[in-house]
Amino acid sequence: MHTAIIAQGIGKSFRAGFFGPRKQVLHAVDLEVGAGAIFGILGPNGAGKTTFISILATLLRPDAGLARVLGLDVVKDAPRLRERINLAASGAHFLWCLTVEENLKFYGRLYGLGGRALKVRVGELLELFGLQPHRRVTFERLSTGLKQRLALAKALINTPELLFLDEPTTGLDPEMAQHIRGEILRLNREAGLTILLTTHNLREAEMLCGEVAFLKEGRLLARGTMSALQERLGLGDRVSLFFQDGPAPLDYGRLPGVLAHKLEDNRVDLMVDRAEERLAPILAAVSQTRSQVIQVRLKEVDLAEIYHEITH
Amino acid sequence: MRLPTDFYKIWAFAARSALVNRRNVFAIFEMLFWPGVAIFSVGLLTRFLKLDPETVTFILIGAVTMNTVQIAQLDLSYALLYSVWAKSLKHEFMAPLRLSHILLGSGLVGLVRGLLVFVVMGFLSMWLFDMDLSRPGTGGLIIFLGGMFLNAAIIGALVLALVLHFGQRAEVAAWAFSYLMLLLCGLYYPVSILPPGIRELAQIIPLTYFLEYFRHFYGFPLQSPHPLLYGFSQSVVYLCLCYALVQYTLKSALQRGTLLRLSE
Repeated sequence: MHTAIIAQGIGKSFRAGFFGPRKQVLHAVDLEVGAGAIFGILGPNGAGKTTFISILATLLRPDAGLARVLGLDVVKDAPRLRERINLAASGAHFLWCLTVEENLKFYGRLYGLGGRALKVRVGELLELFGLQPHRRVTFERLSTGLKQRLALAKALINTPELLFLDEPTTGLDPEMAQHIRGEILRLNREAGLTILLTTHNLREAEMLCGEVAFLKEGRLLARGTMSALQERLGLGDRVSLFFQDGPAPLDYGRLPGVLAHKLEDNRVDLMVDRAEERLAPILAAVSQTRSQVIQVRLKEVDLAEIYHEITH
Repeated sequence: MRLPTDFYKIWAFAARSALVNRRNVFAIFEMLFWPGVAIFSVGLLTRFLKLDPETVTFILIGAVTMNTVQIAQLDLSYALLYSVWAKSLKHEFMAPLRLSHILLGSGLVGLVRGLLVFVVMGFLSMWLFDMDLSRPGTGGLIIFLGGMFLNAAIIGALVLALVLHFGQRAEVAAWAFSYLMLLLCGLYYPVSILPPGIRELAQIIPLTYFLEYFRHFYGFPLQSPHPLLYGFSQSVVYLCLCYALVQYTLKSALQRGTLLRLSE
């Protein structure tokens, strides 16, 4: 797989006011993202997510470090790079008095589209995002969901190879957020678009991202696939076994795949690396002790736990 | 330059500016109401003061110039202010743009609007106050218009630099700059009556020379031997300096995160 983004030692600080002290927002951040991936950057508010994504999107210059996106330097090759990338952010903002169609045409022209090509592209995007019935509605009169759809449509106007999404579903109702997530997945699968998204919504990252990185106070604390992070942090799926007459007499810590265990009255809580793989052998071992299991509860590991583990 | 790609980028700003003007009732106000008020009030004042026709023309040329420059520079000044007000600045600069696309596109609409104001005010001046706009001939008129639009471009570019640096706080500069320039360049009076020190400032404003050139057709003596040479050469130098200033401010905005701050 080719590398779409390479960032090495990215540092950025801002001065508060004219004479105020400088505040370091990013501390030597390194990151590599493969082409065709959906990569998530997670972190609380103020972690530096937007600053980092803005540097990669050529909207901000780093104080230190190097970043190459699609093989181009984000500072030196910014004009050429801008032709191949685009960005959508939360809280879509466009010119209030232009209609949906006019806004899309404006941005299309900024990317050098005109004539029939512009008309066709705008038409495609209006269809794709269900904006056709609203094409003559001015931006200020659109609902939040429609504004966000327009933001995504605008971000695709130049048929980018790489898309930056800065908290794309923030402020949307759950149904619309789900719809937008579906669109993001579809764009990645059907168009092979590389997507770098920031979010503080762990479920969203879990649903969309093949790989994630955690940013806190400008430092990249961990990155990897969900399973790799799980392994590294010793977090796993939860299996709770409820017994009729007390827990089965077993050395649970020695069972394959068990990372931790806890006994409580008639219940045993096990943390395993992969529940779907380990459950059958665990139940087989329990049945050999002739203990009767009356209930099994499974809970897959989620990003909230990983996030908590890393950031505290 | 890659035509027609560059043409479409320029057209993007021209079309946006035209659409905003078309939908904004205040834009019509700017173009028709205030220039109309200016011609009526200044013209009636000259009548009250019982001024001779040459002096009336001198003053009316000032009124027409002031409004034409003011309106022509607004579209350029607003080019980024629209984006700042809409909080969409980062999306514009995310696109592969050059400053020349913004300046030419918005400047084009400014030129058309300025021309319209000039025609309306010129017509009112001729109709109501017997001003003879045809005396300088087509060539003289075109040169004067060119001079006014160059000055409007300089003011507009300066405002762009201020917007990129200070954001919405620079809004007031869109109006204030042109008034300051117009105050110094001898709109309603000859530059010679300005106090010493201020008079020298007038010499470094190109519009001073274009006004002088246009008024000499109405019998007012030239104060400098080559007003067009001074006017055009100063305009070109200032335009280049302004372009460099806007470029520098943009670079600084990318460094300081101004584009992001203005998009929040």
